[in-house]
Amino acid sequence: MGDQAADVDRATASAEPRDWVAALTTPGRERDKALRDLHGLMLRAARHQVWRMRPMLGNAGHDTCEELANQAADDALATLLAKVHTFGGRSRFTTWAYKFAILQAATEVRRQAWRKREISLDDAEVWPDVHAGPEQHAEAADLATAVSRAMVVALTGHQRRIAVALLVDGVPIDVLADRLGTSRGALYKTLHEARTRLRRHLAGTGHLPGATEVGGP
Amino acid sequence: MTANARRLTPAALERLVVPTEPWLSCEDCFEAMDGYVDALLADASTPAPAMDVHLAACPACAEEAVSLIILVADDNNNDPEPALRRIRRLA
Repeated sequence: MGDQAADVDRATASAEPRDWVAALTTPGRERDKALRDLHGLMLRAARHQVWRMRPMLGNAGHDTCEELANQAADDALATLLAKVHTFGGRSRFTTWAYKFAILQAATEVRRQAWRKREISLDDAEVWPDVHAGPEQHAEAADLATAVSRAMVVALTGHQRRIAVALLVDGVPIDVLADRLGTSRGALYKTLHEARTRLRRHLAGTGHLPGATEVGGP
Repeated sequence: MTANARRLTPAALERLVVPTEPWLSCEDCFEAMDGYVDALLADASTPAPAMDVHLAACPACAEEAVSLIILVADDNNNDPEPALRRIRRLA
């Protein structure tokens, strides 16, 4: 990045106020220009995201990164255009637009980074890390032991498998969602329920302050 | 211990017990993210408890929020640091 095209895109973004919604929904030359400008902005955001996450991609070169960014920008633009009528004006239009490209590019990078990695969804036991070092004092070690036990007695098998994959093994949530044919939101809801059960159990055993969490989605 | 047993590191321990109330879904977080970012860049102390809780509990959404803050700040010659400090404090 940092080239002339990026400078033009930045200038486009900072040129607001502009009625993007009207420009994008009214057929004619103005719409064509708005679409070109918007694609430039999406590409800027997608590049920004791909380069932020590039270390996940190992030896990926410039061409691979550009390919990912271009694909993400195209896909994000299509998603945005289907939702442009929902823009509520709670933010600048460009901020609203960028989030689509950032989400798409981040998802693509994570998918690419994990495409050859196996994900184990076995119902594994979780043990306190006995090699955690001196900073893990007795109280933390006690909590770790309590959490290990709570994961067995307070969670369902499904909640435990999802929690271990996402929070212990560090599988990105959208990668796991892809593999399981579900959504990021559905997995986050499972995590929320698992965490609520864990916290409630740990409050009951005196390892966390009183269980104040109630309700949920 | 079984062959597939995992070690519970201090970081994983924190991730397992982080509070997730008030509830906010990833979809609702995405819906609100642009307004949240613009608000934080204008005033990093803007209250947004549900977003804060969600970003503390969801690394994917947090990464995207941080990225959006940096990009929008760059467009507008804003200092992203106060907003970024707030997000870092959540993690």
